[in-house]
Amino acid sequence: MFWREQKAAIASFHPLHQALIEHRAFSATYPAAGWHQLITSLHRHAGLVTRGKWALPARTLDVLVPLLHEVCSDLGPDGTLAVLADLRGADAPGKELPSRDLPVRPPIRSVTETWTVDPWLRMRAELRDGSVLEIVVADRRRTRKIAKRNPRGKLKSKRKIKLVQTIKVRRKLPKGDAGRVPSTAPPRWIQVFVREGERRCVLAGAKLDRMPGTPQEQLDRILTVATEPFRWTSVEER
Amino acid sequence: MTPCAVTTGFFTLGKCGQMAVAGCPSCGRALCADHVTEGGLCPECAAANGRYGHPAAAAAYRRRAQRYRASQEYEDAGWYNLFDAFDRSAFDPNAGAQQDYLDDGNDALVDS
Repeated sequence: MFWREQKAAIASFHPLHQALIEHRAFSATYPAAGWHQLITSLHRHAGLVTRGKWALPARTLDVLVPLLHEVCSDLGPDGTLAVLADLRGADAPGKELPSRDLPVRPPIRSVTETWTVDPWLRMRAELRDGSVLEIVVADRRRTRKIAKRNPRGKLKSKRKIKLVQTIKVRRKLPKGDAGRVPSTAPPRWIQVFVREGERRCVLAGAKLDRMPGTPQEQLDRILTVATEPFRWTSVEER
Repeated sequence: MTPCAVTTGFFTLGKCGQMAVAGCPSCGRALCADHVTEGGLCPECAAANGRYGHPAAAAAYRRRAQRYRASQEYEDAGWYNLFDAFDRSAFDPNAGAQQDYLDDGNDALVDS
């Protein structure tokens, strides 16, 4: 009745796993072995914890864990992966930007626009080829509250919501490596920029007007954008 | 020393390179102790056979599945390799000279 067994099970979980249950977010930097411990702990969750209040947040097992698997497989022996995962959702406090009123004309009485920015995943990995990979995924939500007076004098209101997801990836190439321009262009929904400097950076970004419908599609979108800068790898390096 | 020839990584592909202790009975690839999966297969062959129990086999399956899905986004020449010999045979230069397209003769059942 008092969930003693499940509380004991949670106490035995990985600290980041406990943070996900309690705060729906975590931030940590580990080598690959540390992340594998977290993944092992997360896979024990379903068998030990059934209470809905302590369920893992959405996108944990189907998006975050596969991403950790893939990035960890590229870490060098001394490489680390830093992850900031905020899976509280877009309605969590602090994610809503100040509202603003848009100019209107009758019969519209008011239009209030509010943006919510939810950067729910940030990763930074030092890979075994000497490059540094950074991934940022953010959901952006625009809410417009519209109030109008109809011809019979009634006040009507409606709300319109538009969701957009942005995926940004930056790969800092290894020292002394200029990379090469890939032979084929990326898909039209991926934009690629090259930033010169001490170490050349390849930036790939995507703005998805249609939110991914399934976790698998979400994972595919992130991985497709994340693999784009690796097409710039020079042949000698391969 | 024969190095392990299993492909590792996702973004930066590389060979394992540890000392091989066995060979894959399916493809003959040299395998180290960490990469011998169920039935002694290499991770790639195990994934192709639907055996994902070994972490390396699961990783090989995920990598191949992602490459397959991403290839449809790119105008990638390697995508042609996804077709098998039966699919490609229709585009062979002499494919039009199949028996079905030749004259059947006057005594054939159906005059095409």
